[in-house]
Amino acid sequence: MVIKEDVFTFIVGGKAGEGVRKAGSVAARVFTSMGRFVFHMDDYGSLIKGGHNFSVVSSATRRITSHYIKADLVVAPDKRSYDLHKKHLADGGILVYNSDAVKDVEGLGVPLMTEAKKYPNPNLRIGVGAVAILAAAVGCEKDCLKGIIDQEYPRDIENNIAYAMVIYDISHAKIGGKFQLEGGDKERPIITGNEAIALGAVAGGLDTYYAYPMTPSSSILHYLAAHDRELGVTAVHPENEIAVINMAIGSAFAGARAMVGSSGGGFALMQEAFSLAGMVEAPLLCYVGSRPGPSTGVPTYTAQGDLNFTIHQGHGEFLRIVASPGSMEEAFYLTAEMLDVVWRFQTPGIILTDKHLAESRMTVDIDVKKAKWPESMMHSGGEYKRYIDTENGISPLLFPPSKELIKWDSYEHDELGVTTEDPDTIAKMQEKRNRKKKAVADYMMGMHTVNVYGDKGPLILTYGSTTMSVLEALRCGEIEAIVVQPIYLEPLPMWELEKYRGGNVIVVELSCAGQFASLLEEKVGIKPKAVVKKYDGRAFDPVELAGRIKEVV
Amino acid sequence: MDDLATYAENTWCPGCGNFGILSAFKKAVRILEEKGIGREKIIISAGIGCHGKIFDYLRLSGLYSIHGRSMASVQGIKIANPDLKVVTFAGDGDAFGEGIAHMIFAAKRNADITVIMHDNGVYGLTTGQYTPTSQKGFKGPSTPKGSIEEPLNPLALMLESKATFVARGYPVKLDHLVDITVQAVQHEGFSFVDVLQPCVSYYNTYQKYNQLTEILDHIPGNLDEAMAVAKRTDRLPIGIIYKKQKPPFHKELYGDWNPVTKRLPREERTKRIEALLSP
Repeated sequence: MVIKEDVFTFIVGGKAGEGVRKAGSVAARVFTSMGRFVFHMDDYGSLIKGGHNFSVVSSATRRITSHYIKADLVVAPDKRSYDLHKKHLADGGILVYNSDAVKDVEGLGVPLMTEAKKYPNPNLRIGVGAVAILAAAVGCEKDCLKGIIDQEYPRDIENNIAYAMVIYDISHAKIGGKFQLEGGDKERPIITGNEAIALGAVAGGLDTYYAYPMTPSSSILHYLAAHDRELGVTAVHPENEIAVINMAIGSAFAGARAMVGSSGGGFALMQEAFSLAGMVEAPLLCYVGSRPGPSTGVPTYTAQGDLNFTIHQGHGEFLRIVASPGSMEEAFYLTAEMLDVVWRFQTPGIILTDKHLAESRMTVDIDVKKAKWPESMMHSGGEYKRYIDTENGISPLLFPPSKELIKWDSYEHDELGVTTEDPDTIAKMQEKRNRKKKAVADYMMGMHTVNVYGDKGPLILTYGSTTMSVLEALRCGEIEAIVVQPIYLEPLPMWELEKYRGGNVIVVELSCAGQFASLLEEKVGIKPKAVVKKYDGRAFDPVELAGRIKEVV
Repeated sequence: MDDLATYAENTWCPGCGNFGILSAFKKAVRILEEKGIGREKIIISAGIGCHGKIFDYLRLSGLYSIHGRSMASVQGIKIANPDLKVVTFAGDGDAFGEGIAHMIFAAKRNADITVIMHDNGVYGLTTGQYTPTSQKGFKGPSTPKGSIEEPLNPLALMLESKATFVARGYPVKLDHLVDITVQAVQHEGFSFVDVLQPCVSYYNTYQKYNQLTEILDHIPGNLDEAMAVAKRTDRLPIGIIYKKQKPPFHKELYGDWNPVTKRLPREERTKRIEALLSP
C-alpha cells in the first residue's frame, strides 16, 4: 500500500470529444468531496474531435496552487494516451490502460471498451470508466461514486452507474485502496479563473458583458449568458470585437457597469475604442486572457506575452490601469476592485490573465461579502458639465435621461462636451486628464497593490498565474524565499517595489523576451540576477520550477 | 431662441445638404415631444465626417462616437437602458465603409436604434474621395482615373439584412423628411433612413435629385415590392420603403428587464453568488 502524505495527482487522457475534460472535472469532484484541495489543468488542442486531450488533477490536504505533471494514477484509454503519459508516471505510480486498445505493455489492463460496448454510445462512456478507476484506487466508496455520477452525468444515468460499478469492481480487485488518501477539513467549491472573474464582476456591480468568442476568454461569456437572469446581468455576443467594445462604452454612457473580454488578437481590434474610452472618460473594464502569440499563435495554451501590449493599450495620452490576479480567489476580488477603480477614475482598465489561470480550476475559499462595490463621483445638482475641470481631474458623472445636457465627445472638447480646436481648451483638457494619473496613484497608495509571501531567503518577483506556480514550487522544493507579486502593473506601484532595488532578485515569467523583467528594470531599476522563463505554451510544473530556482539562487 | 441649438459655430459649407437634415431633425424632436417622447429621452450619436458635426449643433445628450462605430455605440446605450430612444447620424463612408458589419448586424438582430445616413456619395471632410455609394467612375484624389468599384445600394442591402424600417428622404423635401424621421424614431426595431445629401463642394447633386426624386404614394406592402422600389434608378422614390413589426433585440434578449433601472442590489447579488459557490 502506498500512503501519500502530500500531493496526489491523477491524469486521464484521450481523444477530444470522448469526455476526457469532463472526466477530469469529475475526478476533481471526487477529491473535493473528500474535503481535499484541488488544482486541475486541462491540456487540449485547437480541435473538436480526435487529437489528444488530457486532464491533470492534483490534490492535497493543504492549499495547492498548481497541477503536477508527474501522476500517481494515470488512466490511458487508448494507445496514444499510454505512449504519451507513460513518462508522466511518478515513482510508485500506477498506470491503468484500456486492455481493449493497448496490448502487451506494463501496467494494469482494464477492459474499458468491452464493458462499454454493453451500452449504447460506448465511446462516450470511457470517461465515466476513468472516474470509476480513480474512485476504486483512492478508496472512495461505491455509494459516494454513485452520488457523483448521478450529479455529474445526468444523461443516461442508469447505464452510466451500471458501467461505473462494473469498472469499479474490476479495478477494485486489482488496485482497490492502493492510495489511502486523507480527507481534508471541508468540501470547497472548485472554479476556473474565468468563473472567478465572472462572479467577481457581478459581485462588483457588473450590468452588461460583451464579448466575441476567443479562447481562453470565451468561458466568461458562456458562464454569464448561462446565468444571466439568475445574476441579473446581460451578456451579448455581437458581430466582432469592435462592436463589443463600442457597445460597452455605449452602455457605460447609459450608466451600466460594462465589461468586455477577449484574448490578444481580439483585444488588438479594440485598441481604437479603448482610446475612445480614454477620451470620453468612460469607466470600462476589459478582460484579456493571454495565449502564446504573436497573431493566432497557439490558441489553447498559455503565455504571459501580452504585458507590454496591455500596459500600452490605445493611442494617445490617457490613464490606463492594468492589474493581474495571482490566484482564482484574487481574480474574484480583483475584478470587483477593478470595477471600482475604473468607475472612480472614469477610465478604461484591464484585467490581464492567461489561459493557465483562466481555464484551470482550483478549490477556493471566497467571502463574497468582501467584494468591493464601485463608487463613483455623481453630479450633485445644478448645471451639469460632463468635463468640468477639477483639482484631481475627475468630473462628476450623470446618466440619461436627464434635463441636463450630457455630452461625451471623442473629439477634444470643452467642459460641456462640445468639440473644440481652441489651443487653451485643448491644453486644459489634456492637463485635466493627465491629473487623473496622479489621482489614481495617490489612491492606489492606500490600496493593497503588491502581494508579498515569505519573509526570508532570496527575492523572487513574479506576477499573474505564475505566482501560483512559484508558490507551489517553493512548497514542493522546500525553498525559503520572499515572493513579491505586483497585482497592479500599470500604474506600477513604485512606492512598494522600490525597496527591492539592489536586492538579489530572481524573476519568473512565461515570456521569451522577459517582458516583466524588463519592466522592472526600466521602471523600478531592479536588475534581476536571473530570469527564469518558459515559453512553450505550458505553465511551469512545480518540481521543474523548484529545480530551476535552486539552480539560480 | 432655438432651444435645440448649442453655442457651437456651424462650419458646414453654405448650401450643404446637412442643414436640411439638422432642421428636419429639430422639427422631428418637437413633434416627438408632442407625442410624449421627451427630449431628455432622445439620445444621439454620430460618426466622424461632416455629418458628425450635427452632434455638436444639437442640444441633445449623447455620445460622439468614432468613425464607423456609432451604430454599435447606440446599441450599447439601448441595451443598457431600453427606456431611451437612440438615434445615430452616420455618413455613407461611416455606415457602409468602416462600419458596414455593424449596419448589417444591427438590421439582422432588429436592434431598436435609428440610423439617419447622410448619403452624399463622397468623403467631404477628407477632401473628396469616393465612398461605398459613389457611382463607378467617380473621380476623387484617391481614384484620379475614376473609381473601379460598383456602388452599394444601401436600401437594398438593409432590406436584405432584415431591417424592419427602411426609408429614403431628401432634405429639400423638408416636411417629408421630418415625417419620415418621426416615424423612424417611433418605430420599435431597426430603422434606417437614407438621406440623399448633396455636397456643394465635392459632389453637388441638387439638380440630379431635384429631377429624380419622387414621393412614394404608399408604403410597399411586401419585401419584393420594397426591393423593386429600392433598386429603381430611373427615378429615386423617397418615403417609407418598408415597415414591419417584429420584437426588437433587447426584448428578445431580456423581456421587460432594464439593466440600469432594475439593477439587482448588492445584497441580492451576494446571496445568488454564494448559492452558486456552495459546493
